Amino acid sequence: MAANQSASGSSDSESPSLFDSSSQPAPNSRSFNRSVRVAEKERRKNEAEDPFVLALKFFSDVEAGTPAVGNDNLEKNLVLVERVAYSKGLSPEAISVMLEFAMSLRMGTSPCVRVLKCLVPASVVPQEAVVRAMVWLGVCKIPASTQVLFIKWVLTIFDMIDAKDQLRAIYGFIFSFVTEEYLCPFVCHLLYLLTRKESVRLFRVQKLLELQSKLGRQPFLLHLLSLYKVFCPEYVTLSIPSRMKSGFRNHNSPWKSALIAVQRRNGSQIASSASLPSTIKDKTSSRKRKHYHLELPVLCSQVNQQAQTEPSLGRKLVSLVQLSSFTQLLDHMHSIELPAQMGSLLGSSLALQYLDCVQDEFALLRLNFWLGYALHEEFLFCGDGRASNSEEALQFLDKLLSTQHFLQEAFSSTEVFLYKFLSVWDGSLLRPQILSLLSNIPVVPSSQIGRLLFEPLMQLFFTSSLFFKCGLIECLNNMLLKWLVWHSVYALEDDLDISLNSHTSVNMTLSGFKDSVMELVHFVGRLASVGLQLEGGHSLLLSFILDFYETVCDTFLKYGLPLIVMFPPGVFFPALLSPDPVSVDRLAYIMYRYKVNLTSAKNQEKGTEPAFHINRQTFREFNHYLVVMVSCLWNSRMFHSGMGVELGEELLLKSNVPQYSKSFDLVHHPAFLSYAVDFHHKCWPERKDLDLESIKQSKPWSWYLEYLHNQGYDGLKQIVPAP
Amino acid sequence: MGKRDVQICFRFRSGTPDMEQHRSSGARTPLNSALVQRRSRSKSYRLSYRSCLGAPSRLGLTPALTARRLNTSRRAPKSHNISEKVSVEQLALLLKNEWKLSYVTPLYRFRHTQMRGYSRQLSAFIAAEKHQGLAVDVEAAQGSFRASFSVIQGMTETDDDAETILIQIHSKSSFPGQDEPQRALWSGWLTCVYGNPEYLNSLPKDFTCLPLFCSSGSEVLTNAVKSWFQLTFDCCFGPLEISHTSLQWLVALWTNCHAECNIQHLKMIWSVPVMPPLQITYTVDGRDAWELWNSVRRDPQEEGEGGKDEEEETGSNIDITEVERFMQGLKGHFYRHFRLDLSAGSLKQVSTALGLAKCNGRMKISNSKYMIATLTLLTECALLKMPM
Repeated sequence: MAANQSASGSSDSESPSLFDSSSQPAPNSRSFNRSVRVAEKERRKNEAEDPFVLALKFFSDVEAGTPAVGNDNLEKNLVLVERVAYSKGLSPEAISVMLEFAMSLRMGTSPCVRVLKCLVPASVVPQEAVVRAMVWLGVCKIPASTQVLFIKWVLTIFDMIDAKDQLRAIYGFIFSFVTEEYLCPFVCHLLYLLTRKESVRLFRVQKLLELQSKLGRQPFLLHLLSLYKVFCPEYVTLSIPSRMKSGFRNHNSPWKSALIAVQRRNGSQIASSASLPSTIKDKTSSRKRKHYHLELPVLCSQVNQQAQTEPSLGRKLVSLVQLSSFTQLLDHMHSIELPAQMGSLLGSSLALQYLDCVQDEFALLRLNFWLGYALHEEFLFCGDGRASNSEEALQFLDKLLSTQHFLQEAFSSTEVFLYKFLSVWDGSLLRPQILSLLSNIPVVPSSQIGRLLFEPLMQLFFTSSLFFKCGLIECLNNMLLKWLVWHSVYALEDDLDISLNSHTSVNMTLSGFKDSVMELVHFVGRLASVGLQLEGGHSLLLSFILDFYETVCDTFLKYGLPLIVMFPPGVFFPALLSPDPVSVDRLAYIMYRYKVNLTSAKNQEKGTEPAFHINRQTFREFNHYLVVMVSCLWNSRMFHSGMGVELGEELLLKSNVPQYSKSFDLVHHPAFLSYAVDFHHKCWPERKDLDLESIKQSKPWSWYLEYLHNQGYDGLKQIVPAP
Repeated sequence: MGKRDVQICFRFRSGTPDMEQHRSSGARTPLNSALVQRRSRSKSYRLSYRSCLGAPSRLGLTPALTARRLNTSRRAPKSHNISEKVSVEQLALLLKNEWKLSYVTPLYRFRHTQMRGYSRQLSAFIAAEKHQGLAVDVEAAQGSFRASFSVIQGMTETDDDAETILIQIHSKSSFPGQDEPQRALWSGWLTCVYGNPEYLNSLPKDFTCLPLFCSSGSEVLTNAVKSWFQLTFDCCFGPLEISHTSLQWLVALWTNCHAECNIQHLKMIWSVPVMPPLQITYTVDGRDAWELWNSVRRDPQEEGEGGKDEEEETGSNIDITEVERFMQGLKGHFYRHFRLDLSAGSLKQVSTALGLAKCNGRMKISNSKYMIATLTLLTECALLKMPM
């Protein structure tokens, strides 16, 4: 095979050498034959009288020159084979035997067509049989229509051929048939399926162009040439008219229905349609796109400038176009050629996998240029008043987002774009997409985070609707989560000292990272405090804010970041006094996680290795919050001095609330009042008048707490375990 | 108001001192030092390699976030005897047409040595585009168009600038053997004059930055050339408008030349947002314009405070404040005569004997001696549009 390829200087010189090699099978295929023969022998012992086996024996042993006309033996056996073929399909061996019989014209041309028509494979078709038949095509005087029938058959069963390497090896031989005018359309299709980058040669291109000048604009020539152009744009160029149908004409082959029937009966799921790599842009959207810059480029090889100057030099490169599976990608990992336009990678997950693996700086930069260009043109430079809230823009951003999720990293061009876009964004245009993109951005150094992110976001936050506020808090939570995950991964990797790709990495010190995280948390604290005031402590907003703090309170234990930041009073008190029991419970849970984190940090501090130092202020804040929470909910001591919420004695008296200090305990708290009433009914069903104070007695109190825990309020349970 | 002003997008305050420092020091960091540093720290962090902020070596590009504004001060155009450096025929070609401007992202693997190959490929590409559905041999392109690439030597001003590329598309004469020279159907050129050195140096070696693309000829051919460039060098083309501010700069820069070279007239077209739309053509005699310009130039006494060293710079540097004062003077003059304040409108077109520039991104250069100053400004505008 290798010899064939290197000798493929011209298509003519190839055929004889090929003929030799296929008439004397390679050693491994001979051993394969032997094992087949052994199996055959065993089967023969068992089913010596199987008429089908006998029929096959007849076809393999019949001597050349035996007359076909009036040959009853032939008729009998052929009918038998046909019956098996149409019911169960033919085994690989049977295919080999029958194909060899038909193509060698041992009994003349008349049975040939009939045999070809019944070649319905049951499972796979041995490649060797196809190669041999191809060779017969070259040496026998097979009528033209039969030749066409044969190629059509190969096209139909192409995906069922067990391997294609030998077929590719005789590419030049198959190519030589394009000069036969009647065969040309079908041979072109077959070549299309077999073409690899290395099969595209200048003399073949010239041959096809010569044919083109003879036959005119034939779709089959164009399709093959367009594939050649994808692989070697330096040889040929063309543009496909938009009205031309993509793909080859679906040759209405006689085998299709029989094949489907046999496959259905056998229950086998063999992919039947030869899927073509698409070289032609899908022009289904016939209307002209206005936003041409949002269109993904087509995957196409680069004009190989090196190859032009020094053709012998350089490795054999594999184009990304011809890879269709991850295994193939792995096989060719070191010889993959990047496409001409990096933007085309965005459409292919396989290509992205490759990009992620090689981390080619130039490739990334090219991709970033294209991506940045598209984003800028669409959203920043759209000076002609065009509404960019288009379907195309939406799809583009969705595609970008899925790519970034796939790579688990943002592109720097997206980042640059976002920093600019935030200052002109109205906060509603493509909000979900923009916020998702924003949540992907990598850690921003604390010296610039305010200018780049916080200033524009603050303006947007305070001038937008409640839903935007919720969306932004969610976005910032996701951003923080990504940063923390990034930290835990890279901190770990650094311990292992993986110096791979060190030229692309940049140092960020732990303290720098901590500063950025702290800035972000403080920023959200400010937004949350003011936002809750603006929206009257809206429980939806509060819920998103508490989501954020659920991330924040666990930075030390969950992500290994030696940093604990408390929430501001502006978040704590609205949550504590919220009329929504879930919020109060989540607050309790967050307090519990803070406690666990702080305790564990404190223990490390005491330990031998100096882990990190927590500001005393943080402990003080935490203790203060805890005292407030416990004395408010459990001990009925609200509004006592030193609790953070202080109201004048006179003012409280004026409110006419009896025993105001109890008004926020677990019984009277607006969030839990209904539970208290319900509990009261359940506890004392006979009582007519409601006396919530009676719950406070020690026994009912512990029942009440247990009742609350059973309602699913685990946070409360964790912060003060039931007695 | 419906329009979004692009200028807004770049309102990052330039010149935050600490940041500039961070940038420049980062840019100079040799690549391998990152590793050394990393090891020396007890615990260090790898910044995501796709981040645009941390990466010093790559195009995280710094100018993207800082110097994203037109320069507020630029050198006054000096008479350049460019015909000494650039061949006369090529120069004549540049002066002949009105050009449509575009910006181009850096070209990947562009080689100034492959002009013949490019010519062949582009000819074949255009032929293929012309005959939809007909494959074309790149090696021996037939067809009615012949593209030719050439280098315009001598247009560069600094070592960082890449040499200018000229592309011409001729129709193949159907009667060969005629003596008359072939007519160029389409021409275009890619150039970079005084490109921001920080930006140019931050590009890896395989990228060639020729940010300004000027084309003249049929739209179909322009698009074909653009597509071919996109395919071959993985770059992108976008329209380059000349902003209001840039036009004002041109007004001042061109007027400033009057002392050496008669600009004859200063013609401005303003559009005023009223119903129905009002377009005002405002022409000032070259001498009058120059006198006004002279009067708003920095006071020599003011200069005196700065010390004697700057004396040489006086007159060679033009500041944005001077440009604004000049425009204010022109507008004031107009107001006195017509009671119409042009500040409400916007400048659409400027022309003098040196050249013509329109806000929709068309320009014509009429005098080669001062073309460098114009091209410097336009290169800067094009670089501002770079996405990275």
